[in-house]
Amino acid sequence: MSEFLHFVEHPLQEIALLIMAVVYITRLRWLMKFPAGKERQAATGAIDTTPRRGIIYSWMNIANPMGMESTRTKIFFYAQFVVFHLGVTSAIALSFIIPYWPHVLEIPGVQPLLQFIIGAAFIVGLFRMIRRYGDKYIRAISTPDDHFSLLLLTVWFLFAFLSVPNDTSGGEWHLVTYFILTAFFLIYVPFSKISHYLYYPFTRYYLGKTMGHRGVYPIEHNPRT
Amino acid sequence: MPAIKERSHKAQKVLERFEKKLNRQIVGSLVACVHCGMCTQSCHYVLANPGDPTYAPAYKGDQIRKIFKRHFDWTGRVLPFWVKAKSVYTDEQLEELKDVVFGKCTNCRRCTINCPMGVDLATFNRMARGLLVSVGVMPEGVAVVSKDQWELGNQMGVLKEDYIDTLEWMEEEMQMELDDPQAKIPIDKKDCDVYYSINPREVKYDPRTIADAAKIFYAAKENWTMASEGWDMTNFGLFSGDDDLGGSVAVRLYEKVEELNARKLVISECGHGYRSTRCEGQNWGKKDVNFTMESSVITMLDYVKSGRIQIDAGKNDKIYTYHDSCNFARSCGMYEEPRELLKLVVNDFREMYPNRSENYCCTGGGGAMSMSEYSQRRLKSAKVKADQLKATGANVVVTSCHNCVDGLNDLIKHYKLGMEVTQLVNLVAEALVLEPRVAPEEIPAAPEAVPGADGLKGKKILVTDDEPDFLTFISTVLEDNEAEVIKASSGDEALKLAESEQPDLITLDLSMPGRSGIEVFETLRKNSKTQNIPVCIITGRPEMRKLIYDRPVPPPEGYVDKPADEDDIVLNIRKVLKAGHEKS
Repeated sequence: MSEFLHFVEHPLQEIALLIMAVVYITRLRWLMKFPAGKERQAATGAIDTTPRRGIIYSWMNIANPMGMESTRTKIFFYAQFVVFHLGVTSAIALSFIIPYWPHVLEIPGVQPLLQFIIGAAFIVGLFRMIRRYGDKYIRAISTPDDHFSLLLLTVWFLFAFLSVPNDTSGGEWHLVTYFILTAFFLIYVPFSKISHYLYYPFTRYYLGKTMGHRGVYPIEHNPRT
Repeated sequence: MPAIKERSHKAQKVLERFEKKLNRQIVGSLVACVHCGMCTQSCHYVLANPGDPTYAPAYKGDQIRKIFKRHFDWTGRVLPFWVKAKSVYTDEQLEELKDVVFGKCTNCRRCTINCPMGVDLATFNRMARGLLVSVGVMPEGVAVVSKDQWELGNQMGVLKEDYIDTLEWMEEEMQMELDDPQAKIPIDKKDCDVYYSINPREVKYDPRTIADAAKIFYAAKENWTMASEGWDMTNFGLFSGDDDLGGSVAVRLYEKVEELNARKLVISECGHGYRSTRCEGQNWGKKDVNFTMESSVITMLDYVKSGRIQIDAGKNDKIYTYHDSCNFARSCGMYEEPRELLKLVVNDFREMYPNRSENYCCTGGGGAMSMSEYSQRRLKSAKVKADQLKATGANVVVTSCHNCVDGLNDLIKHYKLGMEVTQLVNLVAEALVLEPRVAPEEIPAAPEAVPGADGLKGKKILVTDDEPDFLTFISTVLEDNEAEVIKASSGDEALKLAESEQPDLITLDLSMPGRSGIEVFETLRKNSKTQNIPVCIITGRPEMRKLIYDRPVPPPEGYVDKPADEDDIVLNIRKVLKAGHEKS
């Protein structure tokens, strides 16, 4: 391993992680400075719809494609979402596995599994780029940040896929690129739409609390709807 | 805030007030959108306008979000182009925003429950409405209705005497129908179990629902009352985004309940009224209450289930479907109770799909019925609802919301669906099986004859409208009710005929070519020969009502919005004639 590869795998990642953590904490403090709404009224709806159940239902909504018409009627798109986010999780995990626990990659089946997931996520990334440019509705709501974030992640998937074997016999360029992209990704994320996962628990918590208190969540579906 | 261009006073005020409106929920919704587009197909505006992305919920949300990003979000402040952050500078930009937040969204919340991120567009769209209203940028109808609710305590400008008069009229009708002079609509009775609050639309256009509710309370032997003031449970603050108005209206009602020491506030069937009074009012008004609140749907269901009233579902012998009001269902979780009650009072119920929290808006929600400038857009988007209604195979659509009644009636007429719209209160009253009354020992005196109670026989009515079709329609309706009709197709003709014919009542269209209805009305009031003739305004331009009330002459005796059906017209004209008779 060259000194440069060591630098991008270790100090660069650690600095990037530190920056990300500081920025995230700042961001959360900013969000928390806004007051939370208060519900004074007695609960409405069925007895088994409570704020607590509403919050849990709301948080778990992501894992319940039948819970929303938008996912229920677009199962292929939902599957893309799952693959894409599993790809993100795997590529992030890889950025820790290679520098700190490289032996994990020696476990039989781990490398093919990671490559399968990340490779599939790369393909989904390409699909999503086509959709973002090609779909009139999506193009109208897309910002440069949306396009760039998607491009960044898709390219990152490609280099993560190539880096899974952690093999430098043919050169280090793919690993160096992967770790530089990872560091950039870590620093860029808090300023981009990719930070949505930071907000997800909050938006879903408050929506779930409100809808639970008002008897809407959990939604019980009539099978024919 | 960046001082790049000169900003208009209104735009500056909007930005200053923006931050005060923000809470954690709204900020979360403003920052969390990932532009995934999952909400797109959930919106009836999108479905009815294929290919136009400006109707997409995320696009509409971005028109508000871009201002937030430019002023409150770090990336938008530093690199605005990167996240399409943009400020507002001119009044024209505020007008454009008005078109989006009032004219392209009914705040139905369907996109919210279809958003994977939990972005609540309806909530921050309402916030944006409130910001615009605070600087006077709003549809004319919103201004008129808000003004009425601030000044007169109800959103349809019903005067206290008209309200009381309507209750007394309904009481008389009920007494005649039940043949019981003890059947009452109590007003301001203290220490009751039920305080019944209503929508002013019931007073103005559909007093039958008041009589039906009274009949049900009578049958249940309920200890109930209505109030002489603080009776309006609707709240235009929900639609206009004005929390001050919302709080003031709700607290006015709560305080009256407390003053009368009622144990339970029962809210008649109205989606936004229920949500405002039951779910939002306490938050807007920052007030805790010591009484319970419930929808009349629950009250009626309890009566039926507990045997307090007897029902014969066979009396409602049509095919019925149920439309879930957005505010009632998607924002207050009221799905099953209306269905349970409906199935008890009718024999043939057909479900509508999708339903419950996934039902489509009636397209008249969010105050859309008061914004006539968006009527064409609203009716176009109503195609989705029309198809949904048609697919049920029902001939009557039942809903627990007055706004939905109007919205559905409008689209049913527009798409020629030939369906009726009714409410649960009407069906329950229709299905009531009343115990035979024990004859009292003393026979009460016969009630005084009410002129016109059995039609409009002998009444001379001058009908004024420039639309030949409507003129024919209303004339036929009145003639069928035995009135003598004189027709005028212009303001000048109406003035001439009013003076020479001395009719018992004049119906007047407001928007006519030449001399407008408003001018004609003022001239009639100022002419000693015509000033005492009651006038009933019939117009398709509700926003012009304000102009009538702004005139330095006594207001008209009656008011009917177009499109109006036969029952609305006859009921209102009878009411105006009766009031005139009592006055004389």
